[in-house]
Amino acid sequence: MQIRVNGKDMNFSDNSAPATVKELIDHLGIDSAAVVAEVDGEIVEKRNFENTKIKDSQKIELIRFVGGG
Amino acid sequence: MNDKMIIAGREFSSRLFIGTGKFASNRIMSDAIEASGSEMVTVALRRVNIEDSSDDMLSAIMRENVQLLPNTSGARDAKEAVRLAKIARAASGIEWVKLEVTPDPYYLLPDPVETLEAAKELVDEGFIVLPYINADPVLAKKLEDAGCATVMPLAAPIGSNKGIKTRDSIKIIISQASVPVVVDAGLGLPSHAADAMEMGADAVLVNTAIAVCDKPSEMAQAFAKSVEAGRQGYLAGPGCVSETANASSPLTGFLRD
Repeated sequence: MQIRVNGKDMNFSDNSAPATVKELIDHLGIDSAAVVAEVDGEIVEKRNFENTKIKDSQKIELIRFVGGG
Repeated sequence: MNDKMIIAGREFSSRLFIGTGKFASNRIMSDAIEASGSEMVTVALRRVNIEDSSDDMLSAIMRENVQLLPNTSGARDAKEAVRLAKIARAASGIEWVKLEVTPDPYYLLPDPVETLEAAKELVDEGFIVLPYINADPVLAKKLEDAGCATVMPLAAPIGSNKGIKTRDSIKIIISQASVPVVVDAGLGLPSHAADAMEMGADAVLVNTAIAVCDKPSEMAQAFAKSVEAGRQGYLAGPGCVSETANASSPLTGFLRD
């Protein structure tokens, strides 16, 4: 499976591919509490991370707050 | 001085808004926010750094009395700004948004047409919208009519520390506005903030001037004092400006023949 995460292509073998947004976030070692996701342009709220499936070729954005004015 | 400002039904004692960009560390930022007494603090949204996702800056900002104000910085048009506002709401549950649409990264001046379009859409979506604008009185009225909670005219380009370069237009905006006017961007010194408050601005937003100085906490405190002094001076009702001298001492009874 190939997906694009934050502008970078990521490849997974079939048996190691994250099945959900939650699994992807865990795989990347990110604290899911501080993150919001977009899958193919659709916002996925935190409470739906676990039941949002990831499919081949999807574009995923993982976004969070940073310092800004 | 008991002088509260109300934005969208929320009372603010402090009229100093603080931005959180450019601080050398979360600790320095947190100390500066504390020292400022600010109750409105802006944040931005960016992609998580997948290689290093350890930085959690929100916990350094969050305080009981602080309203977090996500911005839409990086948006080049209305569509991108609306998208960022919705992402911010999904991430935090916060409906307040500092609307920024800046297509040109060199001067970072806001696009008035796209800002108005995004503001209308966000107000319809239930957001409390605080738009960052050039000091344009006509646009300010249109944004107010569209239901924005404030208007935030720039004093000078973002991060320039130049002080109030848009004075006459900001005065017109203040004279016409029935929502709070927050002077945003370009204020580089506490005296600039006092100046804006003496002109009748309801609040100021400061980031770079505090974040990049030698002692951010002390500068934050200096800005807080200036904002308070400027506000008090405005409320005290300044005397008239005159082209000629007007003697303060009596012009009679001189000790001469």
